[in-house]
Amino acid sequence: MTNQSTTTHEGSATPELRSREKQAIERETTRGGPVFRADVDIVERADEYLVTADLPGVETGDVQVRLEGGVLSIETTRGFTPEPGWTQVYSEYASGSFYREFRLSDQIDVGRISAKMRDGVLELRLPKAEQHRPRRIEVTS
Amino acid sequence: MARLSWTGFAHPWSGGTGDAFENLRREVDQLFSRVSHDAPVRGSQGVHPLVNLYESADGFVLTAELPGMKFEEIELAVQGNRLSIRGERKISYPDDGRTNLHRRERPAGQFRRAVELPVAIDSEKVEASYRNGVLLVKLPKSAAHRPRRIEVQAQ
Repeated sequence: MTNQSTTTHEGSATPELRSREKQAIERETTRGGPVFRADVDIVERADEYLVTADLPGVETGDVQVRLEGGVLSIETTRGFTPEPGWTQVYSEYASGSFYREFRLSDQIDVGRISAKMRDGVLELRLPKAEQHRPRRIEVTS
Repeated sequence: MARLSWTGFAHPWSGGTGDAFENLRREVDQLFSRVSHDAPVRGSQGVHPLVNLYESADGFVLTAELPGMKFEEIELAVQGNRLSIRGERKISYPDDGRTNLHRRERPAGQFRRAVELPVAIDSEKVEASYRNGVLLVKLPKSAAHRPRRIEVQAQ
């Protein structure tokens, strides 16, 4: 065995190709275990915002999306769990739950927010309130 | 049966602090210095699936977080004791002309990883599944490396 390190973080020659380690966040939980910051894309369209979050290993039923005091939060109660008979022999990432929150602008029609989960990816649609949508005004002579 | 020195590790999350986990990971990294990384594919933009490896009753189980992929688009190949995974994570948002990207954190692009296992794998019996964005590959040891019970016969 050599002492040469081949871990992802130290082994890559070019910094831009280094993998990003999952980012654990400090958060008080009653369950214990690590909580990770979910990677998120936010796209604004003419009539809605689209928030996409990576939540690998999370079952649909373990995702909680909450809206409280203008803050939208994404929280998962647990992540991937290995089978009891498995012994971990090599580790590059830890499994755990995810958390992320955003303050919403008053442009959003909170009553029509929808959420969909597929292959470990959460997709939130946040429709804009009617008065904030772009509109075309007819010019009449 | 050959005794493998690394089987005695405790589960990293069976209690303990982050430091203990880091130390353990470093130790395991050193022991598993055979886990290799192929040179990143040109043009890859940060997708580098991290892997975990478990030992099970009949072999190894590899997991990798690859959310939002199509299972058929993940290519797996096993040769001897080497498993390679490759694919491309595509992320696109239809542009309606007024689309504005406010935040882009989710990595996209091509990836390729190879993992060398301590023993040869029975490539015929490798099983892969994809669930909730986690790739799980079951890698049974080839028959020559499995524990065998030897009958002791009375003289």
